[in-house]
Amino acid sequence: MSSALHLLPLCQLAAGATARICVINGDDGFAQRLREMGFGEAALVTKISGRTTSLCQVNGTRIALNHDAAMAILVEALPAGVR
Amino acid sequence: MVGNPNCGKTTLFNALTGLRQKVGNYPGVTVEKKIGECYSQHGRPMKIIDLPGAYSLAARSPDEAVLRDVLFGRREDTPQPDRIICVLDATNLERNLYLVHQILDLGRPVIVVLNMMDLAVKAGLRIDTHQLATALGVVVISCAAVKGEGLVELKLAMSRSDLPLARHRWDVPAPIAPAVAELQASLSDADAQPPLIARAEALLLLTDFESVRIAGSKPLSARTAAVLATWQQRCAREESNWSGTLIRSRYDKINALCREVLHRTRPQELSGSDRLDAILVHSIWGWLFFGFIMATLFFSIFSLAEYPMNWIDAHIAALSSGIKNILPPGDLRDLLTDGVIGGVGGIVVFLPQILILFFFVGLLESTGYMARAAFLMDRPMSKVGLHGKSFIPLLGSYACAIPGIMATRTIENAKDRLVTILIAPLMSCSARLPVYLLMIATLLPAAALPATWKAGLMLLMYLLGTLGAFGFAWLFKRTLFKSTRPLMIMELPAYQPPRLKEILRQMLERSWLFLKNAGTIILGISIVLWFLTTYPKHPDPQASADAQIAVSFAGQAGHLLEPVIKPLGFDWRIGIGLVTSFAAREVFVSSMGVVFGVQDNAAHALPVRDALRAARWPNGAILFTPLVCITLMVYYVFAMQCMSTVAVVKRETNSWRWPLFQIAYMTGTAWLACFVIYQIGRALGY
Repeated sequence: MSSALHLLPLCQLAAGATARICVINGDDGFAQRLREMGFGEAALVTKISGRTTSLCQVNGTRIALNHDAAMAILVEALPAGVR
Repeated sequence: MVGNPNCGKTTLFNALTGLRQKVGNYPGVTVEKKIGECYSQHGRPMKIIDLPGAYSLAARSPDEAVLRDVLFGRREDTPQPDRIICVLDATNLERNLYLVHQILDLGRPVIVVLNMMDLAVKAGLRIDTHQLATALGVVVISCAAVKGEGLVELKLAMSRSDLPLARHRWDVPAPIAPAVAELQASLSDADAQPPLIARAEALLLLTDFESVRIAGSKPLSARTAAVLATWQQRCAREESNWSGTLIRSRYDKINALCREVLHRTRPQELSGSDRLDAILVHSIWGWLFFGFIMATLFFSIFSLAEYPMNWIDAHIAALSSGIKNILPPGDLRDLLTDGVIGGVGGIVVFLPQILILFFFVGLLESTGYMARAAFLMDRPMSKVGLHGKSFIPLLGSYACAIPGIMATRTIENAKDRLVTILIAPLMSCSARLPVYLLMIATLLPAAALPATWKAGLMLLMYLLGTLGAFGFAWLFKRTLFKSTRPLMIMELPAYQPPRLKEILRQMLERSWLFLKNAGTIILGISIVLWFLTTYPKHPDPQASADAQIAVSFAGQAGHLLEPVIKPLGFDWRIGIGLVTSFAAREVFVSSMGVVFGVQDNAAHALPVRDALRAARWPNGAILFTPLVCITLMVYYVFAMQCMSTVAVVKRETNSWRWPLFQIAYMTGTAWLACFVIYQIGRALGY
């Protein structure tokens, strides 16, 4: 890829958009549990709704994340239509 | 039996074992231990242990730690199972296979149960169970526990004595391999673990962060602990991410497997749950629905419950007058009617309300709505420093603080869990209802005011408790338990039709517990209290009931207490009620019945109300003025008056420090709030 990735925190992803998870910050235990739930790097996530508390879909599961958790996850938004 | 949360494990367990279940606790921790029995196809009895749900063996809560330690054979109280039933949610195969992948490491016989297959088919998923069985080398059974499909096949598989061992070969990621080998050797030699279990445990120990250790489990040997520490230091020094590497390696395997066995028959589309969620977690419609649910809940408790309550009331009254007709007047008759029936009957009458509360909580949980409520509540909860998950225990505490406090076990962060435990008893539980109802009945002249006033006052008390809980959470998070705001991640399960059978079972369990309490603790207290108010006898046998109580043991104790509670508008007789109801709040009502000597119709709530209205101070002033009634209700909103809660908090926090702190801060707040209300009220001329 020629240009640098444009990363944004999951909480800023628009509702309905799909993104690829790139970086997980936050404490180790939290990151471990996220990855174990299939919410790891390279997974595709679709934001369903939410500004303060985010509702997302990963692998067919709906997962709620609070604002701080959604801030700790950096994603790369994918063009519309990619799923 | 193991599986992820929300995979339908409990439904399957109930379907297999029916009523042959024993529920207890793992010694040392408050994790529920459920053991059921069923018969094999050959009529041989089999014991099934329902282990707590978990996403992974890397334990982040006591529940998950029990699962891990039982599987690793580290608990003396539970033998290592000889076969493991892994229950999976077929609609979410990839994530559910993660735990299976960890469990296959153990090298024990495993049966994989693909539950909710009907839902998976509906969602357009086709799972090739044959191929899955071949790839994993274990028995795979497709099942829909709610409909009872696949149970016979599962029982057949459980009955087999020749269950195959998994063909589970995968290479430990290279960077971790040397560490795993050394730790495995140590676990085999020093901890006497079988080789495969040693390897699985080594993998877990090396990649686990802040793993939860629980009481009652065998600790690691000193040698293994030393080997582990050395490798952990080295991992930290090299800034390697072993955990991430291992998880990725497992998911690579799982994804490859899913590509073989999982096929979509049609493109993924919005499911029914998605469409419902579009409304139920919507920022406007979601809140409206939430408000509607809460309003229905409170309406049912306060109006619908009245019919069965009147029925129970009438029968208890009939029983009491029946006894009066049979027995001659005297102490024995009074003991039976005033002490036993008056005390216990006054409590049993609240059973319908408690059943309705548990019905609602069960309904919200089994349909999957509870998680949505937690999602909605996350934002308001974050204002006081907690997250949405704390809402579930708090809502449960409206029914009873005990299951509420036990439900805090799903909160991973220890400080947040403690704050939730500390504030949970401030939510007005069903035991406060009798007190509120009696005070409102005393306060408002019968039928003079519309029912909405009563409901309004009641709601005000609930609101006060809730605001108090939030206020204290805010305070505690800023002082005693300073920590960064917790990161919350919570799965929202698919919506499901309510499983009425399970809800009914839970309601039966709860009401049995409640009745057992009424039959033992409350009966005991009522009898003791009757004795304490009857003896020693007044020198003049013709003395009035008031004079008799004043000279009795209880009266003497009440008089001792009076100086402390007089600034709140309470006299020594109310003091007796405050002390006895430390056992349980509802005892206050039966105590008032006994203390104010309700003679004619001991069990009926109305006469107690009339007796209270007639009560006077020695100078002739009315004792239960509206102001005192309200002050008394506020006292019960805040005061910690429940022995069982104290015991549960002690068990959950493993120390006396927190329950004692809880008693002090809650009862202190109650006294202060009552003092302010009463004194201001008096100054304003009420």
